[in-house]
Amino acid sequence: MTDERSPNSDSAPREDELLISALRTPALSQDALERVRAAVEREWLAATVAGAAPGSQRTAPASRRRWFALAAAVVAAVGVASWLARPPAPARLLGSVSRTDEGALSVQSAHLPRRNLMQGGELRVGDRVTAQGPALVVLARGGTLRISAKSELAVSSPSQISLERGLIYIDIPSATGPGNPLRIITSAGAIEHIGTEFEVLSDDQAVRVRVREGRIRFVGRTNTVVAGAGTELLAAPGKSIVQRSIDTFGRDWSWTAALAPDYEIEGSSLIRFLQWVSRELGRPLNFADANARQIADRTILHGSVRHQAPIDAMSNVLATTSLTYEIRGGAIWVRSGTSAAL
Amino acid sequence: MYEADRALVSRMRAGDQRAFDEFFKDSAPRLIAFIARRTALDPATLEDIVQSALIKAVRHLASYRGEAALFTWLTEICRNELADEHRRANRRPAHLSLDEPEAAHRWGGMLRAPDVHEPVSLLQAAAERAEIVKVLDGLPANYALVLEAKYGDGLSVETIARQLGLTEIAVQSMLARARKAFRRRWQRRPAP
Repeated sequence: MTDERSPNSDSAPREDELLISALRTPALSQDALERVRAAVEREWLAATVAGAAPGSQRTAPASRRRWFALAAAVVAAVGVASWLARPPAPARLLGSVSRTDEGALSVQSAHLPRRNLMQGGELRVGDRVTAQGPALVVLARGGTLRISAKSELAVSSPSQISLERGLIYIDIPSATGPGNPLRIITSAGAIEHIGTEFEVLSDDQAVRVRVREGRIRFVGRTNTVVAGAGTELLAAPGKSIVQRSIDTFGRDWSWTAALAPDYEIEGSSLIRFLQWVSRELGRPLNFADANARQIADRTILHGSVRHQAPIDAMSNVLATTSLTYEIRGGAIWVRSGTSAAL
Repeated sequence: MYEADRALVSRMRAGDQRAFDEFFKDSAPRLIAFIARRTALDPATLEDIVQSALIKAVRHLASYRGEAALFTWLTEICRNELADEHRRANRRPAHLSLDEPEAAHRWGGMLRAPDVHEPVSLLQAAAERAEIVKVLDGLPANYALVLEAKYGDGLSVETIARQLGLTEIAVQSMLARARKAFRRRWQRRPAP
């Protein structure tokens, strides 16, 4: 079918150009559209299930229609059974639970009853998660999500989480960052990481974001703020955003270290292991002397430090080498036996 | 008149996944464009508004009675969302004193001044776009709808006809009248 044109107007082409130039607008990114779709689809599913519950059938006359009713009931039962028995299409995956205590993490999906998740359990789009205890989730697209006790969140898409209340920590190494956006929706705005580690504390009144490494973008209703490492943002719906400097290490972060994923040291270089410890503790890694750096570079580790906190793992690993460490001025200092005392 | 839209909504209410897919594919990009033409919202806020509007729509599908095109119904929800957003924005402080060093530091990264490197032609184009949308909003709703569908969303006459439950001839005729009305108002608009 071709387009029509008003035959008696010389200005028609000019109008067409005007209208096209004014009305063609850049669309949202595909990722944004996907996020919207996931959120709307979840609500649609919930509304459909809720709307199907109330019964509204009228009672059929018993004598004349008994057999028809029975037959209809059988057909309906078979239909419902078939519908229920059909294999559901799996929703898209956010990640898998790597660590949690029994009964600490429960999930409600659109068509399923609430259930507990254990290690290896999967979080998928549409899941609503309640954490009674801490949990570590390895994200399918790279990085980890750590959930503190008494948190509630919903998975809107493989790249979006709605934090309804509680405390979470996101660690997405920069190597997986730029092409792997993750968005956290809170009552006061959205947080987008730019390859980073950050913590979000949120309820229906306010949100606190603490950036430990890299940068995040906080997108409020009217403002967008980019915050770097060592920054805390406090925001509430309709209020100004407050920003201040914080330490990236110390007691406030200890809950994240307790949920750190295990580091597999077998075959890893010592320096990579130390860099991992440095990120987990939020403390820069420094070498007191060139020799220490060379040793860390060329040492290959064997064995396991599973189930050890990062600081304990570092102590145990370095005890098997000629290197020692000290925490000083917020940083980790590693030195060789030949260097002078710090 | 809007039988196709009513049927689509009925299927959605019955839990038909394909109906939802069709609804989202047809509505979401158009709704985004509809808002983008009328506002200067940043992409994140635009996303929030569209998401909120569509969520309200799917929660209240029962209230769609087929008295207008489904898309028109969605645009009304969107207008309400925008009005809410506008009210919320008005409740926030209109300005912040930059005399306080801390405040200036805090807000320094948020203040948005016109980009001096932005070509003048772009600024002129934005102004012309606003004028055109203003003229469109002054037209009867169905005229604005078909012009936006045709020129903004790039839909064919056939698709518009299907969505509006009209014949293609009727849509062509409506487009011709809409263009004529637009031309008249455009030529008579007050000088800037």
